[in-house]
Amino acid sequence: MRQAGYIDRARFAAPLLLAMTFCIFLTRPALSHHSFTAEFTAEKTATLTGTVTQVWFRNPHVRYLFAVTNAEGDEEIWDARGSPVVWLARKGWTKTSIKVGDVVEIYGFLGRDGRKMLSIMTVTLEDGTVFVDRVPE
Amino acid sequence: MIAKTVCKLCLTCLFALPVSNMAAEADFAGRWMVSLQDQKRTLVGLLELERSEDGWTAYLEGGPAQVEIDGNHIVVIADSRDVRGFVFDRKLVGLLENDAMSGTYQQVGSAAQKEAPGPWHAEREVVVAAVDTTPKPVDITGMWTATQELDFRKYTMALTPAGKEWLENYLPYYDQPDVRCTSIGLPAIATYSFPFEIIGSENRLTMIYEYSSKVRRIWLDGRQANKFMPPSRMGHSNGRWEGSTLIIDTTLLDKTVRDFRGELISENARIEERYSLSEDGNTLSAVLTVFDPDNYARPPVRRRRWVRKADTEIFPYTCDPDSFYLTMYEDGEMDMYIERTDQRF
Repeated sequence: MRQAGYIDRARFAAPLLLAMTFCIFLTRPALSHHSFTAEFTAEKTATLTGTVTQVWFRNPHVRYLFAVTNAEGDEEIWDARGSPVVWLARKGWTKTSIKVGDVVEIYGFLGRDGRKMLSIMTVTLEDGTVFVDRVPE
Repeated sequence: MIAKTVCKLCLTCLFALPVSNMAAEADFAGRWMVSLQDQKRTLVGLLELERSEDGWTAYLEGGPAQVEIDGNHIVVIADSRDVRGFVFDRKLVGLLENDAMSGTYQQVGSAAQKEAPGPWHAEREVVVAAVDTTPKPVDITGMWTATQELDFRKYTMALTPAGKEWLENYLPYYDQPDVRCTSIGLPAIATYSFPFEIIGSENRLTMIYEYSSKVRRIWLDGRQANKFMPPSRMGHSNGRWEGSTLIIDTTLLDKTVRDFRGELISENARIEERYSLSEDGNTLSAVLTVFDPDNYARPPVRRRRWVRKADTEIFPYTCDPDSFYLTMYEDGEMDMYIERTDQRF
């Protein structure tokens, strides 16, 4: 019986090893989905309106967190990423342009895999001011 | 009888067609300077077309491109990556006539930078051997603003097996130096769109880049680096004038990655830059070639052009990696990041 059990385990070992190898290989692409370049999708854009909850106006990337009420009436925090400060500042988009508490409409590329992220194209303030994030090549 | 005639015809076709095609196609072989005009940009690149036993191979700026040639028709598909990191293709369809190519191109795939279809053309590369290499330095000092005349930003390059292995293990964003406020250095920094300044001194030129607030010195007196100097992302640069072209050779480069205009750099790499000034002294052009046989089967080429503008300013570039680490912490990726420490340089 002990012998049979041993053989059974051996029979399972190969497929298990194969499955584990697959898992290892599958982990890599899963990780790379979290990369910045792979975090956003060029195929999908969105325009979301919400209230700014946090401003990070520093290099390497500008970041705004803003609260958006979804279709179910629940509040979601979205993470909007912008270009390096130098490009934005050059065009008059500074640290004080968009403040905590401002209601903003942000248009950008959506995060992949349902991540609540936007790669900023434009930010529109309530008074109609539009900030364009278009870094030259 | 009919069958015999058809067979004869087929045989004639079989032998005659490839021969006539080969004769016409042979004209494509060689090095071509391709340029295309977007609404806002002029892209320039070296297209190398080579005939092999299996057909044609193409390289744009040292990176492999797809090519189809039929008679005097050509289709080239080359990938590129836009400023947001989205990879897309450009499809160039054209004709070879009078030893020049021309046609139309279009963007294929999604990108942040939309390009309208437009014309392209290509002429054979003209390599003019300098008649007189006597140094005739020109004044390239000043503040320079990047124009929208640049290379094709070819994405896939001809990596060696070692280069490919590195790429397979590379994790974009987390392994990228910029995100933790460590400059990516050369070659990326030399062809970015950020402005830079050149200051001249007796034995050197000093370049101050807005991006990462980096400084490099181009030694004109042929000096070698101190033997204890560690490699760095800006390396050790020697410059010389051949006629009125400044040629810079940079070695002692620290390893860096191929991401966001950077190229994979080993410690054995050498970067050559050639700077030339327009006759009116207001336009500076650079061609940069990465020689790194450890990582590249063919050297990547990058180009950039700048203009002198009275209002060019260099902004301070302070960088704080706090948001990078915070986001990673919030996403629960900190352990993964720490485990990969050995992979980063």
